[in-house]
Amino acid sequence: MHELHYTYGLIDEDSKREVRRALLKAVALPGHQVPFASRDLPIARGWGTGGLQITLALIAPEDVLKVIDQGDDESVNAVNLRRLIAQTTGVSLTAVTADATVIQTRHRIPEERLRADQILVLQVPMVDPLRWVEPNLERATVMHGEADYGRMWVYMYESVVRAGDLRIATQYPVIVADRYLMDTTPIPRWDVPKLHQADALFLFGAGREKRIYAVPPHTSVAPLEFEDVPFRVEYTPGQRCARCGCGDSFLTSHAVSDADGATRWVTTCSDTSFCAARQAVP
Amino acid sequence: MKSIPTWVLRVDGLTRRFGVGCPRCTDSVGPAHERSQCPWCATVHACTAASFTLARGEVLGIVGESGSGKSTLLQMLNLTSPADAGAIWYREPTDPAAPPIDLLRLDRYAMRQFRNDRLGIVHQRPELGLEMRFSVGGNVAEKLLLARWRNVAAIRERAASLMHQTELPVERIDDAPPTFSGGMLQRVQIARALASRPALLLLDEVTSGLDLSVQARVLDLIRRIQWEQQVTMVLVSHDLGVIKQLARRTIVMKHGHIVEAGLTDQILEDPQHPYTQLLVSSAL
Repeated sequence: MHELHYTYGLIDEDSKREVRRALLKAVALPGHQVPFASRDLPIARGWGTGGLQITLALIAPEDVLKVIDQGDDESVNAVNLRRLIAQTTGVSLTAVTADATVIQTRHRIPEERLRADQILVLQVPMVDPLRWVEPNLERATVMHGEADYGRMWVYMYESVVRAGDLRIATQYPVIVADRYLMDTTPIPRWDVPKLHQADALFLFGAGREKRIYAVPPHTSVAPLEFEDVPFRVEYTPGQRCARCGCGDSFLTSHAVSDADGATRWVTTCSDTSFCAARQAVP
Repeated sequence: MKSIPTWVLRVDGLTRRFGVGCPRCTDSVGPAHERSQCPWCATVHACTAASFTLARGEVLGIVGESGSGKSTLLQMLNLTSPADAGAIWYREPTDPAAPPIDLLRLDRYAMRQFRNDRLGIVHQRPELGLEMRFSVGGNVAEKLLLARWRNVAAIRERAASLMHQTELPVERIDDAPPTFSGGMLQRVQIARALASRPALLLLDEVTSGLDLSVQARVLDLIRRIQWEQQVTMVLVSHDLGVIKQLARRTIVMKHGHIVEAGLTDQILEDPQHPYTQLLVSSAL
């Protein structure tokens, strides 16, 4: 048995209860930003404190945890967060998406389709897509209340007029349940369709901005798009993962040094767990 | 046989005050007391019990000096300022048999929808009505996007058509508003206001600050739009010349009260209230 030296889940029970109440409200109003009293944690704000508080408020001893950062289970931030959660809860850890019941993530949604018994917790750096067009928080709140998203649509229109296409690479704005405009956090466009009518529950936490929002299972999530300029995911024709050979996953590029000292770019799957599973299959 | 009323807008006892009010307010403010601010509680009675009706395609002028409550009344009609009392009854002009709705009883979401779909406003200062960071085409497009237009090519075509209609250079559709002159910006506002084919167009001092030749072109444009599209308009101005050119009926406001109302020609030629007489004699 793991000996705990901290309160279970690090933060106090009242704080966890408050996070859970905010989560319930967020699930009841898909896409709506619910304020919560974000607590201080032993990591800096902006490094995943929102997601961490949600995970710590939700996680039970029988849960199996997976933490990823940029799709990678072994990135520094993922390792540190995983270590912190494991040390304060004693839960089992995994890198295998299918084995996890709670997945905390930044920048990616796993490639495998998530199940109804899984929860994905996303760390959110910037909560409100309206900030691009209305920096005043109070006015933006009124705009959300009245579903006044005209200016956001003009932003998209101007993007098409000036660049010939929807220029947003990440944090693509979506309309949730035909009502609220929502930021998808820095996930690539590749992952945006995974939010639509998913089986799993998606929870979004912004520690610095003190907001929680959610996309419950089987909820409509529609990216902002035009009839003649539709939303498209990243398109990398001809590129494949150098490790598993997959040509149908989100790819990233790494600079790799060869034995002779020469540097070259290698493209691999961003989701390391997905890539490892493919490599394991003979 | 039951007659169908022809009015589009009926305003009943619309009242707006800034402050909590006191029992002495009623006897301390108004045209008779030459003030709209209560000396006892400092409450400003910006608009008190304003009532009028508007028929389809009619232009109503509202005149009065600065601080008389014209713009407050217009803001209430635009549903951007709450009213403390009264009602704004609206009847869909294309369906006169439909029951009227009190716009002030709508929830905020429905109010926003109504403002997007059925109202257009042209502000005195273009920066209040336009988003300066977006292009002129983007500003006109916003109304279309709010009306669920989702085809960029169709939106641009409609925006260009509106710019042409309002005598703006279509080749400058992607230019930013600060690069346009004051008169052109007023026309951009008009193009934007007309984009959703509003039932009611509100014009707040649209020719203030424009030189006479530009003023004349803007007025011609408004007159042409009114004639061609039969848009119901409420025109606020302190310039009786502008009112005379556009409005069939006029109401005169002073210290938050309507002191005189009637046909514009009648008011200008035979003013009854001393304040209206003063206004008319000052304009001559």
